[in-house]
Amino acid sequence: MKGRGLFQFKSIHTNIAIAFSCLIICTTVILSVNTYLLSSDAVKNNSYDYTAQLIEQVNTNIQTYIGNMESIAELALRDEELQQLMRMPDPHDPKGLALVQQTSTFFRSIVESRNDIASIVFIGTNGALVSDRGDARLKGYNELLNQDWYKSAKEAGSQSVISSSRVQHIYKNEYRWVVSISRQAQTAADGSTGVLLVDLNYNVINDLCKQIHMGNRGYVFLLDPRGDLIFHPQQQLIYSGLKSEELDQIFLPVGDRSFEAKSDGTNKIYTIRSSKYGWKVIGVNYPEELVGDKRQIQFSAMLWGSVCLIIALTFSILLSLTLTKPIKKLDVHMKKVEKGDFNTRVEIESTNEIGKLARTFNLMTGKIKDLMSQVVQEQEDKRISELKALQAQIHPHFLYNTLDSIIWMAEMGKMDDVIKMTSALSKLLRFTISKGEELIPIRAELAHIEQYLTIQNIRYRNKFTYSFDVDPAIMECKILKIVLQPLVENAIYHGIKNKADSGHILIRGGRVNDGIELQVIDDGVGTDAAKLNASLAKGRPLAYTSTSATSGLGLQNVNHRIQLNFGDRFGLSFDSELDEGTTVTLRMPELMEDKGE
Amino acid sequence: MRKWTLIAVCAILLTVMAAFVVDAGINKLQPQKPHILFVPKTTGSQVEFWEVMRQGVNTAAEEFDVEVQVAGTLTESDIDGQIALLEQAIKDKPQVIILAATDYNRIVPVAKRIVAAGINLITVDSGLKDGISSSFIATDNYAAGQKAGQLLIDSIDQSELGPVAILNFVRGSATAMERERGVRESLAGYSDIQVLDTLYSDASEEQAYELTVELLRKEPTLRGIAALNEPSAVGAARAIKEKQAVSRVKLIGFDSSMEEIAYLEEDVLHATIVQKPFNMGYLAVKAAMDLSADKKVEPMIDTGSEVITKQNMYDSDKQKLLFPFVEK
Repeated sequence: MKGRGLFQFKSIHTNIAIAFSCLIICTTVILSVNTYLLSSDAVKNNSYDYTAQLIEQVNTNIQTYIGNMESIAELALRDEELQQLMRMPDPHDPKGLALVQQTSTFFRSIVESRNDIASIVFIGTNGALVSDRGDARLKGYNELLNQDWYKSAKEAGSQSVISSSRVQHIYKNEYRWVVSISRQAQTAADGSTGVLLVDLNYNVINDLCKQIHMGNRGYVFLLDPRGDLIFHPQQQLIYSGLKSEELDQIFLPVGDRSFEAKSDGTNKIYTIRSSKYGWKVIGVNYPEELVGDKRQIQFSAMLWGSVCLIIALTFSILLSLTLTKPIKKLDVHMKKVEKGDFNTRVEIESTNEIGKLARTFNLMTGKIKDLMSQVVQEQEDKRISELKALQAQIHPHFLYNTLDSIIWMAEMGKMDDVIKMTSALSKLLRFTISKGEELIPIRAELAHIEQYLTIQNIRYRNKFTYSFDVDPAIMECKILKIVLQPLVENAIYHGIKNKADSGHILIRGGRVNDGIELQVIDDGVGTDAAKLNASLAKGRPLAYTSTSATSGLGLQNVNHRIQLNFGDRFGLSFDSELDEGTTVTLRMPELMEDKGE
Repeated sequence: MRKWTLIAVCAILLTVMAAFVVDAGINKLQPQKPHILFVPKTTGSQVEFWEVMRQGVNTAAEEFDVEVQVAGTLTESDIDGQIALLEQAIKDKPQVIILAATDYNRIVPVAKRIVAAGINLITVDSGLKDGISSSFIATDNYAAGQKAGQLLIDSIDQSELGPVAILNFVRGSATAMERERGVRESLAGYSDIQVLDTLYSDASEEQAYELTVELLRKEPTLRGIAALNEPSAVGAARAIKEKQAVSRVKLIGFDSSMEEIAYLEEDVLHATIVQKPFNMGYLAVKAAMDLSADKKVEPMIDTGSEVITKQNMYDSDKQKLLFPFVEK
């Protein structure tokens, strides 16, 4: 079993099935994994692009809002009345109050025309206080001067200062979430100046950011340049420390980018855009969500993979079965042939290689069968010819003795006997030598036996008598030529000849169950019948107690010829008892006319 | 062989069909999310505390991608209404009920039935007797009380002698008791500070005002008041302002409202301790998600409290708590 290859299992069927399965499993796995990876990659990239676009959109919108606020601030500051008011030494005189009234109306018209502006307020260094709602509800002048927006605008000179999201508390009992832009007016020649505050409704930014949906869970948040959250959907959680964002990485000075980071135990994809006001718009996506439902894709991939696998395996098993079934069939037939059954034919219709193989096999067995039968035929022919040769032989001894007897009788002047014997010998010889039918009527065989007995009777000087008792109904039945003569010869040489007084030979014939039976019965010395029967069955030359081996051979030949021609059921059998005589029975099928082979 | 091929083809077709069905089925099954019911004390939108908690709930619902159903009574005092509502909820069989109990004792039987029905129960803000719920998510009122007590000690002028008072809101409420215990605990270490008997405002601003006026009259040396809820604090502040006792009596309040903020800005209210309803709502949903995923949940989750003073009230992290941004 050593040195076996990869696919050396016991059957081709298994080999094919396993080879196919390996191939299919590899292909399916590679395809499934690839499909999964490619699709998740594609989805991921799409999402990146989409997110970037969304964030860009938010950024643009925010810039527009802030840009608008800046231009409103610019516009308001250039207002002629505001400039006048700012330069007035005492803005609380009647003229000043009128200016405040006018400016307030101007501010109100701006605020009312835009729903993104919450309020506009101006504080002059000379004590002037103008709001779009009139100054009644404003907090005190000194308190306002201490507020961050004012102080930072003063510090920034004429630059706009944009606050983070905050609660505006310039009005009494009013706290609105706004994003403020405050800007100092250009200082007039007399040193008077002021700060203008424009508040952007925080709702605007809140709505803008909340509208953005990136997947189911993605969100957008805003950071001001100091890193304070302007907007975050979970701002309170972040302040409480329950959530965090990767602010360190966001503030790396590498500009706009996307990166993946782990925070709060989940992977997030941050997409950053910086606006020109220093704000950062950050989109957060969950990669697991981007890839759709990762597990679902995995499941689908696995499901379809296994379905393909099952189909493919079924096909491969079917295919290997189709391939190997005729081979197995061929194998079964080959085993039959191996056991010697050449009559088998493989029925395989297909035209493929195995079909061809089967046809060749059929041809081959056919040919072998022909050859075998040819060999058998030849053997038989040879045997028959040998037998014929044997049967045709008239023992020279017999001829010589007969002729001797004739001479002797002629010398004695027994002319009648000479004539009788010569005539019998002549008929005997003619019958023996004559060619032709192997099968002859019993009548003819009996006639031949009678000639033979005539000769022997004269030779042995009437040492025996003989008689026929044959059913006339079987006279016309066919019998093999010269089968009785060896039996009679046997009866004379081994039965009668050694007997002291004269004997009798009876030739009896009749029908039995399945054929005809001819018996040669003598009352001679008898012999061991069992031994004879055994020898006969073994096909050995019959070992007769006495001299002549040739006659033993003759009986064996007779038995052979009968069995060869008619089968093993037929043939000779012996029945003998010492000093009582021997009966040799010849059994043959009943053959009428030319019914035989 | 032909018969077998036919059978094989049929089998393959069946397999493919089955796979389609399974695939579609899984797609439908996948978004099987827990059904969460949130029952606040009130669904009236005028109460900011519950509005903000709902924001927290919604934020969490969005983050965890679940649907949270909100059902509640219109007023906080409708205990029978809440019981009836919970009875109905048991029939709907949600996976989790997030409950802000309107009563510490009377909700207990229905809560037991909820748990018996195999529904996970989470209490938020106000708990139930015997701790029936899987998790109680609320401010640690004892710790909040301690903070208030400490603030009182820090704010009062140590050179003057005089007692301090505790203005509680309702007798027997777990929240009230815990807060008071916290305050008393932190004051216990200062033997020179006498703590007067607790007054009960019954959560009424008017009663708190009257009690404070009375108190100011009776105790001319009073140095500080800890008012343990919003109406009490506002009532007390009004009395202190009216009786011009601002510089003498330091007032520490709880929770936030426009009035409180105004008093804070006027220095009438020295400090207020605010809870974090947003975090409560958020953490309640988070706990609900954990429970339905069979994860372990802490039996008590403290959402913490913050001290707000005039100085820090506009800090970016504090203003969110004090001025919750409620979308219009």
